[in-house]
Amino acid sequence: MTITDDKEFKRALASLPVERQRQIAVAFCRRVLDLSHDARVKSALESAGRADITEAELQLAAHAAHAARVDSFAQCGSDASWTAQSGHFVAKAAQACVRIAVPGESIAWDAAMQARLARTCQTVAEGLGTENTEAREQYRILETFLQR
Amino acid sequence: MTASLEKGVRVLKEVIDAPIASYFNSCVHCGLCAEACLFYTETGNPKYTPIHKLEPMRRLYEQEYTLLGRLKKTVGLSKPVTDAELGEWQELVYNSCTLCGRCSAVCPVGNDVVYMVRKFREGMSASGNAPEGIKGAANRTITIGSPMGVKLPAVKAQMKHVEKDFGIPIPMDVEGAEYMVMLSSMEIMNFPEYLGAIAKIMQHVGKTWTLCSTAFEATNAGMQIGNSDLARVIVSRIVEGAEKLKVKTVISPECGHAYTALRWEGANLVGRPFTFKVQHIVEVLGEFQELGLLKTEGFEKDRLTFHDPCQLARRGGVIQPQRNLLNMVAKNFVEMPDAGYMNWCCGGGGGASAIEEGEALRLEAFKVKKSQFETVKPDRVVTACANCRIVLEEGLEHYQMDLPVVGLTEMVADHLVAKGA
Repeated sequence: MTITDDKEFKRALASLPVERQRQIAVAFCRRVLDLSHDARVKSALESAGRADITEAELQLAAHAAHAARVDSFAQCGSDASWTAQSGHFVAKAAQACVRIAVPGESIAWDAAMQARLARTCQTVAEGLGTENTEAREQYRILETFLQR
Repeated sequence: MTASLEKGVRVLKEVIDAPIASYFNSCVHCGLCAEACLFYTETGNPKYTPIHKLEPMRRLYEQEYTLLGRLKKTVGLSKPVTDAELGEWQELVYNSCTLCGRCSAVCPVGNDVVYMVRKFREGMSASGNAPEGIKGAANRTITIGSPMGVKLPAVKAQMKHVEKDFGIPIPMDVEGAEYMVMLSSMEIMNFPEYLGAIAKIMQHVGKTWTLCSTAFEATNAGMQIGNSDLARVIVSRIVEGAEKLKVKTVISPECGHAYTALRWEGANLVGRPFTFKVQHIVEVLGEFQELGLLKTEGFEKDRLTFHDPCQLARRGGVIQPQRNLLNMVAKNFVEMPDAGYMNWCCGGGGGASAIEEGEALRLEAFKVKKSQFETVKPDRVVTACANCRIVLEEGLEHYQMDLPVVGLTEMVADHLVAKGA
């Protein structure tokens, strides 16, 4: 299956069971993990990547990712650092990865969007304009994942 | 007297107008304003009594504008305002005042204490006694156009992301659009989904709208630091943008002080009436709801409560629309004690959240919000101010309360009936 746009991407993600969504969400998140320097994010992702994770462990990981997200908000009136802000969105992506799924919600789509935002922040920080190839990379990851 | 103090005192003398003179004369020292201030109620420290925060300005008023005060000054019986004193007062005028206006609301003689604090900040700022965090924000507003240094390419990058995420184009610089949507730096950086929600809502109701490349930033650092000239420059940018695009309405974002600056002080700052209407996004959504333009489906079933941003509810008088909107999409909406007009501030308004050294005090003051939440035990908190949202999240995290905070505009957008459905 070849994925060329977000409609197909979103549909394909939504069709996956929660466990598989979590796996692919982690894969999206890992691509931008180097933009975060928060150990809590890394640890949450490691937990989310485990196939045998329990609900209690998920909750612990969710709490860690949540704390990392709250700590990394750009503060009102602060001198905005888009580099630091990319870390905030990695934390948000990680939070999506460890969220207890609610019917109708796509944790993989949410993680993908937050990972793209993290990359967008990086491009803003580096003055690279608005070009962001993260979506294409995510399509490729999903294609490979679906072949497994 | 140093040059900066001289400037500060001169500015203070200038801003002491008839209302301030009458307020100082009318104060009956009842202390009710103390009980209304979260920094006093949560610390018990009398120095946080709102009217006490104005003591140097009161003395200056007495020394310059009353007969007895002038006599005392002439014979050397009055204490002059010094740089050291203003430096000491920084904590009282900025860190421990969010300009929430609760003190003004309870004053039995009708003194608008928050108006006086705003004026006092003019002198503090002119004398160089504003906190570094707010000074930095004000400088970035002058040099870059945004208190957080957000530039147009960053806005465009976020626009592009939102367009892909929501599948809806984000218009920019569209002449003749009905609405011009403003953003706060906080939304651009932390909550780009707000922009997506706006796009979804506008498409749903069939209204034309646009962002403005020369006036996307709504935050008014001039208001926060106490510099009317800067506040005027910021409002002027918005006025020029709105007039250039010939829009009918400018929508103030989910940001409290941006709304006050533009809606209530804007025309006075620029010295002429606006050619367009200014509304907060909550007012616009409320109007759409009244006109039957918002078709929603489904309900939030968990227990929700609403945190009223001070500038919107108390200073702006917008109280019912947000409740009508919530009741349209939620089955279990509960009010906190003191909700609405007398709601307690999150503790981070008026530039307070930009003051790093004020964090410990802010968290102490947050206990009042904690107590409100504990009373009604909600599952989630809804609000309509990006700054409140972050300050609430930080306070909740500090006190280990597992209570998600969400934005009202996004919640409404989430419930819209899909096009063609």
